[in-house]
Amino acid sequence: MTLLIAILIVPAVAGLGCLLVRTRQVMAAANVAAFGLTVALGVELLRRVVAPPHVVTECEEFFRADALSAWMVLLISVVSLGSALYAGNYFRRDLAAGAVTPGRVKEYFVLTPLFAAGMFLVVLVNNLGVMWFALEATALSSVLLVALYNRSTSLEAAWKYVMLGSLGLALALFGTVFTYAAAVDKTSPVLPSFNWSHLMSVAGQLDPRMIKLAFVFVLVGYGTKAGLAPMHTWLPDAHSEAPSPTSAMLSGVSLKVALYALLRFHILATACLGTSFSRTMLLVLGLGSMFLAAPFILVQNNLKRMLAYSSLEHIGLICVGVGLNSPVTIFGALLHMGYHALTKPTLFFAAGNIHQACHTLQMRLIGLGMAKVLPGTAVCMGLAAASITGLPPFGLFFSELTILSGGFAAGHAALSTLVLAALLAAFCGILYQLTRILPGIPRITRTSDATLTDGLPAMGLMLGTLAVFSLWLPAPLLQVMQQARDIIGGKP
Amino acid sequence: MNDLLAILLQTILLLALAPLITGSVRNWKAKLQNRRGPRVWQPYLDLLKFLQKDMVISEHASWVFRAMPYVLFVSTLLAGLMLPLVSASAPLSPFGGALAFVGLLALGRFFLALGGLDAASAFGGMGSSREMTIAAVAEPALMLAIFTVAITADRSTNFSQMVLAAQGPTWKLLNPAHVLAFAALFIVLLAETGRIPVDNPATHLELTMIHEAMILEYSGRYLALIEWSASVKQLVLMALLVNIFFPVGIATDLSPASVGLSLLWLVAKLLALSAAVVLVETTNAKLRLFRVPDLLSAAFILATLALLSTFLFQ
Amino acid sequence: MTPLQSELASQWITLLAAGMLVVQLLMVVQGMLLTNIRLFALQSLMLAAIAAIIAFFHNATHVYWVAGLTLVGKVFFLPWLLNRQVRRIQIHEEIEPLLNSTASMLLCGGFTLLGYIVARPFTSLERLGNNTLGIAITLLLTGFFLMFNRRKAITQVLALLTVENGVMLAAVALTTYGMPLVVELGIFFDVMVAVMVLGILVYRIRETFASMDVDKLSQLKG
Repeated sequence: MTLLIAILIVPAVAGLGCLLVRTRQVMAAANVAAFGLTVALGVELLRRVVAPPHVVTECEEFFRADALSAWMVLLISVVSLGSALYAGNYFRRDLAAGAVTPGRVKEYFVLTPLFAAGMFLVVLVNNLGVMWFALEATALSSVLLVALYNRSTSLEAAWKYVMLGSLGLALALFGTVFTYAAAVDKTSPVLPSFNWSHLMSVAGQLDPRMIKLAFVFVLVGYGTKAGLAPMHTWLPDAHSEAPSPTSAMLSGVSLKVALYALLRFHILATACLGTSFSRTMLLVLGLGSMFLAAPFILVQNNLKRMLAYSSLEHIGLICVGVGLNSPVTIFGALLHMGYHALTKPTLFFAAGNIHQACHTLQMRLIGLGMAKVLPGTAVCMGLAAASITGLPPFGLFFSELTILSGGFAAGHAALSTLVLAALLAAFCGILYQLTRILPGIPRITRTSDATLTDGLPAMGLMLGTLAVFSLWLPAPLLQVMQQARDIIGGKP
Repeated sequence: MNDLLAILLQTILLLALAPLITGSVRNWKAKLQNRRGPRVWQPYLDLLKFLQKDMVISEHASWVFRAMPYVLFVSTLLAGLMLPLVSASAPLSPFGGALAFVGLLALGRFFLALGGLDAASAFGGMGSSREMTIAAVAEPALMLAIFTVAITADRSTNFSQMVLAAQGPTWKLLNPAHVLAFAALFIVLLAETGRIPVDNPATHLELTMIHEAMILEYSGRYLALIEWSASVKQLVLMALLVNIFFPVGIATDLSPASVGLSLLWLVAKLLALSAAVVLVETTNAKLRLFRVPDLLSAAFILATLALLSTFLFQ
Repeated sequence: MTPLQSELASQWITLLAAGMLVVQLLMVVQGMLLTNIRLFALQSLMLAAIAAIIAFFHNATHVYWVAGLTLVGKVFFLPWLLNRQVRRIQIHEEIEPLLNSTASMLLCGGFTLLGYIVARPFTSLERLGNNTLGIAITLLLTGFFLMFNRRKAITQVLALLTVENGVMLAAVALTTYGMPLVVELGIFFDVMVAVMVLGILVYRIRETFASMDVDKLSQLKG
């Protein structure tokens, strides 16, 4: 079986297979095994993409993986593995506390691999229409995951998520149709290929007005799914109401997968229109997201909502990095994608542990002293918070530094200063919020020892990976990222 | 001489055909509701009956009360004479087109409302104010819809020109502007002729009346003239709808054969439109008064869209 | 294809597209849920007819597939599904919208103009039918407006589906021979599954909130 199809089939089979299984342990184990396998397959894909001709295609170019796709595959599989490791014990505690029924737990273990399979399909398929279909599939599978707890707030969050997401995707479909129409040749009855690689090769001949209009629609549409302001209003609700492993996957990778789809159109638009149009729009929306997120982090009372706004900020920063359009900033944006995808899930896992221990996410009700109640969790949370706010020696420090230095070097001093200001605001916000819950004397007593170690393997895995790769980027990984940077920058 | 003959013949046609349409509508409505219904020629007998009866006039009535039936009758007839019925050139077409048409109908309605107020009865005043409310929103829609067709006829508001310009392959009439204008005019027809869902012509409860309330005080030959005018107005608006939008079979010359054929076509089209009106009346309930402007503003928007689509769909 | 045939086809397509617009406007002012579902079915029928006409006049057989899928899915299956939902939930009438019907109609008239202006530079690209792209953009805008104006969940689902209809109209109007079949199939199945998922959510919302009023979904703020 060929590699790309294997990457798609493994999680799909795991998800559908869980329909037949009845015990939670077996389902969790199946998920972990499937995602572990995809990590291995992702590494293999990486190895193949590094070697010339730097592209892996299957089924007559229907599936196509270049360096950018390989990087995304790796991110998706690592985050999914972490979530799967965390989810087993998380749901054990939820079942014991009566927050979910076994039917819902089964729903989680069936839908999550399908969600991941959808994300893999987005990054591996060449056909832009099928890419849209895959994004819609990920949206639909994640809706029921968001509504898993069936509380009134969960349903509200799921409703907003599905409505805004579907609306955005309908707009993106319009943009996709427009892009295809630009490639249609009026005189011949042969249908042109809808493949991204084919469109890139004829980019110079596409009608620029149509591509402009198409890009605007795609930006609003896929931007809604990526959580760019001002279309982000579903994000805090959905990411806070979903169960913690799902929040981790949503914040960690699904936003980036939507951003990937947007980037494919950005690359096409740049090839057709020249550099300034699409990158300016990305820059504006990215900056907007960063500035919108910062005040909300400061005044936030709900722990997971605060983390969701932090995701908004970081997606904004990635867009700014791509929008500044110098090789250094784009490389920084790619680095940022990776490190954020490792850090944010850790924070969500820690938040999940706190939620289950205190039965609330409201920080004033959680009170002080989590460090004494859940020491392991608090350590991981502290380290992850240090990472997310951009403190050295964690990777996010390096990626933010790269983007900022690239921005200053390319002459965008004002913009870079603004970005720095937003990052500082978020830094203060998150640290302030965490001082409200971590240090000090706790109100509740320490729970039993068994639950103290729950979730630590998952968090440890993510933090460990983060720590290792913050300081050492192996050569193949570096090469893949450089190739991806070249693809985004328009030099395939 | 020919023109005088044409005027006379069209007047006779209007007066003779109008009660037939009214009677058909009443009869078919009853049949659709599983009743036997009045005879199709009953309105003629009603008019005869009214003409023979005495009149009782309130002592508070002024000259307006006595003048109104005549003004209404004459203005409606004049409006009808400007419309092509059996031949493409209407008798009074050199004297006016769409604007004169709407203006004459408005004159008649104005006096009708005054007549309702004049007898100083509460119901009359209520009917007049309701009628004016409806007219305020219906007339713009009427004008816009007619202007839409005028634009496609080389921007002439003369009805004869519009009919002549529409000759050609039938499917050319199926452009969106015409369809939208037809829909708008159909709603305006229901409003102007006082049909359900705007007004119930067969109601006997004064508080639900609009048109009937204004003519409560009239009797005898005045009532005959008013009823006749209402029938003629209905005929005229229906003829506007069928002849401007589907000018199939209208005679372009004045030979007796083609005029006769044209007359048959006219009656057939009018009966078809009456069937549509009966269907709408039977399947809908009367709207409450404050909802009628909603319906008419929908007609207005349809008419505006029709006008827009003349250049939207070039 | 002779010029006369081309003109006849253009006429029919323009007429049907205008019909879709009128039906959309009717949905904006219409309050009864079951009637709105029927209006949506009518609109999808017109879309299927447009696709069939294009397939006939361009001899493009796979566009027949599009017409067939639209017919089966959007004219029969989805309205049946939504009807079942409405009957299960037992709520039949819309409550007062945010903007009253006259103002809504005026706003939608404005959207029509806006759609025409946006589509103006691209009118030369359509092979059959005049300005159907303008109507597609208008359907998008009016669908948006419908989603924010109404408060019942099912009407919001219908609004989403009309936006989808607008996009399919654009696809059919711009790309003369349609999009590759795999894409059309994918879009079709996505829409079906989306409505089913939405149906599940609507049912759960009804159970939890005892109402389909979307205004009640306003606890999460900030």
